[in-house]
Amino acid sequence: MARLKQKGKSGAAKAYVTRSSAVKKLQCSLADFRRLCILKGIFPREPKNKKRANKGSTAPKTFYYSKDIAYLAHEPVLKKLREHKAFAKKISRALGRGEWSTAKSLEENKPTYRLDHIVKERYPTFIDALRDIDDALCMIFLFASLPSNPRVSPALITNCTRLAAEWQLYIMRSQALRKVFLSIKGIYYQAEVMGQTITWLVPYQFTQSIPTEVDVRVMLTFLELYQTLLGFVFFRLYMDSGLSYPPALDEAKDDSGAGVGAFTIKQVENTGPIADTRSANPVKKASGKEVRQALKDIVTISDTTNETMEPMPSTESVDGADADEDFVVQPSKTEGQTFPELPTFRSLEITPRQTSTTLFAPYTFFLSRETSRSVFEFLVRSFGGQIGWPRSSGSGSPVSEDDPAITHVIIDRPLVSKPNETEEERERRIKRKYVQPQWVVDCINAGRILLEEPYAQGKTLPPHLSPFGDRLGAYDPAAPLLATEADEDAEMEEGEESEMEENVTEANSGLSLPAITAEDPEALRAIELQAEAAGLDYGTFDKQVKKSRKQSKDKAPASEVNADEQNMNKMMMSNRQKKLYERMKYGERNRAAQVCLLIL
Amino acid sequence: MAVSEVTNGRKKRKQADAEPEVVKSTFPETVGLELPSDEEEGEDESDDGEVEEFPEIDARSDSEDDAEDGSDDEEEDEDEEDDEDEEDEEEDDSVSDSTSDAGVFPKPKTIVSDITGQPKRVYPDIEPDYDSDSSTEDDPNRIGNVPLHWYDDMPHIGYNINGRRVLRPALGDELDKFLSTVEDPQAWQSAFDKNAQMDKPLTGEELDLIRRLQAGENPDGDYNPYEPTVEWFTGKGKEEVMPLSAAPEPKRRWLASKWEKKKIMKIVRAIRLGRIVPSKPKATDGKHFYDIWTEAPSEHAPPLPAPKPSLPTHSESYNPPAEYLPAEEERKKWQEAEPEDREQDYLPQKYSALRLVPAYDRFIKERFNRQLDLYLAPRIQRKKLNIDPESLIPKLPSPSSLKPFPNYKSLKVAHTEGRTRCVSVSPDGSWVVSGDEGGNLILWEVIVGRAVKRWKLDGKIGTVEWCPRTDVAFFVVGTEEKLQFFVPPNLPRAVLSLTQSILAPATLPPPTPSSIKWTSSFSSGENEALLTIELSSGSGLPKQFAWHRKGDYLASVSTNESQGGVWVHQLSRRHSQAPFKKIKGTVQLVQFHPSKPHFFVATQRYVRLYNLAEQKLLKTLMPGIRWISSMDVHPSGDHVIVGGYDRKLCWFDLELSDKPYKILRYHTRAIRSLQFHPTYPLFASSSDDGSIQIFHARVYNDLMTDPLIVPLKILRGHEVKDGLGVLQVKWVPRQPWLVSAGADGSAMVWCS
Repeated sequence: MARLKQKGKSGAAKAYVTRSSAVKKLQCSLADFRRLCILKGIFPREPKNKKRANKGSTAPKTFYYSKDIAYLAHEPVLKKLREHKAFAKKISRALGRGEWSTAKSLEENKPTYRLDHIVKERYPTFIDALRDIDDALCMIFLFASLPSNPRVSPALITNCTRLAAEWQLYIMRSQALRKVFLSIKGIYYQAEVMGQTITWLVPYQFTQSIPTEVDVRVMLTFLELYQTLLGFVFFRLYMDSGLSYPPALDEAKDDSGAGVGAFTIKQVENTGPIADTRSANPVKKASGKEVRQALKDIVTISDTTNETMEPMPSTESVDGADADEDFVVQPSKTEGQTFPELPTFRSLEITPRQTSTTLFAPYTFFLSRETSRSVFEFLVRSFGGQIGWPRSSGSGSPVSEDDPAITHVIIDRPLVSKPNETEEERERRIKRKYVQPQWVVDCINAGRILLEEPYAQGKTLPPHLSPFGDRLGAYDPAAPLLATEADEDAEMEEGEESEMEENVTEANSGLSLPAITAEDPEALRAIELQAEAAGLDYGTFDKQVKKSRKQSKDKAPASEVNADEQNMNKMMMSNRQKKLYERMKYGERNRAAQVCLLIL
Repeated sequence: MAVSEVTNGRKKRKQADAEPEVVKSTFPETVGLELPSDEEEGEDESDDGEVEEFPEIDARSDSEDDAEDGSDDEEEDEDEEDDEDEEDEEEDDSVSDSTSDAGVFPKPKTIVSDITGQPKRVYPDIEPDYDSDSSTEDDPNRIGNVPLHWYDDMPHIGYNINGRRVLRPALGDELDKFLSTVEDPQAWQSAFDKNAQMDKPLTGEELDLIRRLQAGENPDGDYNPYEPTVEWFTGKGKEEVMPLSAAPEPKRRWLASKWEKKKIMKIVRAIRLGRIVPSKPKATDGKHFYDIWTEAPSEHAPPLPAPKPSLPTHSESYNPPAEYLPAEEERKKWQEAEPEDREQDYLPQKYSALRLVPAYDRFIKERFNRQLDLYLAPRIQRKKLNIDPESLIPKLPSPSSLKPFPNYKSLKVAHTEGRTRCVSVSPDGSWVVSGDEGGNLILWEVIVGRAVKRWKLDGKIGTVEWCPRTDVAFFVVGTEEKLQFFVPPNLPRAVLSLTQSILAPATLPPPTPSSIKWTSSFSSGENEALLTIELSSGSGLPKQFAWHRKGDYLASVSTNESQGGVWVHQLSRRHSQAPFKKIKGTVQLVQFHPSKPHFFVATQRYVRLYNLAEQKLLKTLMPGIRWISSMDVHPSGDHVIVGGYDRKLCWFDLELSDKPYKILRYHTRAIRSLQFHPTYPLFASSSDDGSIQIFHARVYNDLMTDPLIVPLKILRGHEVKDGLGVLQVKWVPRQPWLVSAGADGSAMVWCS
């Protein structure tokens, strides 16, 4: 006879443990358990059958995989946390007894833990780690902008600031920035590093205060992990581009508000092995000569100094560039000559880019003092431009205000006429272009230099759209403009190109009005109601509907015949399919209604 | 008066400061206690006479004493004489005051006698002047030191020296008290004296005492916390030289510990060998980074990365297109909604310039929420279906390719009284008989709908059914407790005679003992039933008939099952029998198998299949319907469809399983009737929603192919009356036509 199955010995009852039993098993406090979960990336699971996992009870519980908990049980950090508990007891006893020297020696030998192994465990490959640094970057940039308080030490903030600057330096140097979006929450940046898209959000430069409903302990634990993770990721990134990590910080410059300019990026002397490892990647076999040439190429790109730059027949003036700020990419000496391209690591990295990374290379910018220097310095330099700023925005400006090389001034002030302007100033004003900050961002997102005129100082700006777009089928604010234009055109030359007109309108607004064209009377009714709620009169709505109906007329007769059949065929769907179908249709209707709300 | 006295007293005290010092230097222990108290007593007396309530402390004099203690020592002797003179005078004043007020003994004075060199008490002289006599003044009460609360409920407060009662003085009411506080600026300095039963101003010393108590200082003004140490057993010349015990001194007093040495040597050796590094530099605050991704990763699959938050859309822009800006209503709705219920966690806003964009107030909160999501939220991997919903609809052959099937209403026959309950089509497909609840029975032609004959029966008509034989023509009608057999008019002679011979044979077969009575009426014409079978009384209305394919057996189901609802009647033997002695559940329907001697019985929940020849149960079909309303067997005999009041239609493949092969639910109300077409691959269902649904149902001979069911047409035309729609549908044999009977009192024919 087979062995009798006992209850709770197998299956879900064994695979899941509740949080309280996990804490009991690990013999640590709940706070420590949480900390461990954060560090190790362990999160609760939802069992398929809660009752079975909970051994018959239906009480609401949090479940973890028992394997996850077993995995936590021999975690070195847990041991350290226990040691820390003992340490805390010892030191409080020593302090209570006034044994200062004991306390001091205890404090010196305080148990500390490192998170290296956790980083390695959670991210077995570098790409894994790189893929997951979005949140880490957001946190680092947030804490870099926070004021210190008793919970958030100044050392922590300094470290965050440093990491943020290192990341910006790397992005500027590798010219990896792709998209920027000025939102009401902050500035979203998107970069592409080693094929991974990384998006991070930086708050606007205001003092933030931590609200009371936020548990700082949790944030600090995350930050602890993120600092370690970013340290290792940056080390690898810097190493891969042949730089030494960490970059040296010039204290004096930093104190005078030089920002990222306070860091000095140094090339690692021994570039040989790195270059070798890099050129080992390409699929194509390279001849020895080519490899040598590629090596030379890399070296010349990387150590561009003033001396090497001067004799070069470069297009723009680079006179102001500091010796230490060599991460503005300059065209290399070998550019003019034709060489068979060897796909080095870098060139492979560059090729799939759509946006030009040297978008601003021909231009020199000057920041007006009300614009954020840290933001626009980062943006302009990421796209190869030169930028200067007034003294009030910090020291280290490579371009002074009266430099004749300046082509654009980024200004965010209303237009004020200056009555007493010297001749020189007037001339300078005419020569330069004054643009609002949005121009820079829109240029980056468009991948080309846009006309400055709509963005000129004091002008009402055109809308700033998200470069990340919206979800599929959502309302596209750029499309209606095109559609109406096309409509107008078509109406003007009414009879002639009626065929083409139809094609155009269908292509443009057929997309934006999927719901209205739909034959479903329920959907139409829902849209109508929404439109009414939005305060639209029936006439306009009707016109819209008719227009879209007209567009889809050709399709209509055929579909009408099918509609009945389709409706009848729905009878033969299984219950599950029917539900799924209804859900999808419901979502479709909702989305269409939302789009409709925006259009009308 | 009191104030001046107090100030006087203070002055005096200042002048008299020197006196106690004299004594203090010589008797440090006692002076502090004795002298000032004496002095103050005097002062008290000078103020108001009888006191002794509060301990008297002279703070000021004392502190001055302390300050001058050391310096004054030598001078005092010289000053003494002069002082004495002055003091005498002052003393006189004070004494006179005190004596006049209190009438107690004058205060003694302690001085060092010139002669003996010992301190002595000197009392001031009593001068017999007017002031010294206190007899003329008001007597203070002299009730003695008797607790006053003894007299709490008495009118008096004690007894004087003569044994007379001393009455409680009038105290005045609250108003008086208040007025006295207003009038007297010193009222805050006075306290109620119980013995005197009146308010007494506090002396400066008492106030000082109160202040000390309030400040938490030592109440004793004379207390000196910094008294010089008295060395009793230590100090020069007082060393203890004798040992306390006679035990010999232990070795450890002069020999270094061996074990300590060993321990130390261990550490020293470790340091020498470099095992212990003193003041080891710290490990650079964990900021040491290196390339941790050098060796190949383990085979373990990396943990799934956390889902990334969705990217911002246009509406989050600082300068969005105007259509994204919420209207006032939307804004209000958003603000009133709970944060969890909001679709977006922000309200779109437009700023004309970047410099005007403020800080986002929920930034940290949102970051925090993201982190909570990361470590507290269970994650589920959801497959995102990126398919066209239309692709979920099964692809079926088009109905137009499956013609013919009925798709329009060709004619309608109206019953005037009540619902048309039942309808039946003759086996040759040209006649229809329909019956209603009013007892009307109409025989009409299928093609033109002309009513050929009408019968009027008494009571409701439960069901009507043609005999399937083609060589005879009659139909059976079920009314209350009766089965009546009718013959249509205008029959060919041969058919009529054969029919009559079956229903009313000239020679009756021998009667079998049964409760069912068969009566034939030979004389009657077409208006009367040719044969009547009377069921047992109380069996109710027959609700369904089922003919055996050969037309000899007729099964009937009656509504009242308690009497045995199912009967099988054999026409040739004119005999009825109940096949089931007892059956579980209410029998709804019965059906003969089209080819085998099998019998289907549908109760409310189950369909049971019996073998009549072997008299046993073959199968129980479980449709899971509550409750079964209709059933039909496919002409092949292998498939059964069952409809129910819960709108479900179940298709059973008898070869396959006793669970439904397919369950369809398309009617919006209960299914009333179902029928397979005898020749075409069609079946129809009717429902209380007033619609008839036509299906194409093709059954294949090979066992591998599933039956093909294609919905073809929804026929609408019957009206819903009192919640009832189409009550029965019947196919016209040999034609793809359908006859239906509705609750609206009409019968309809649907043609292709």
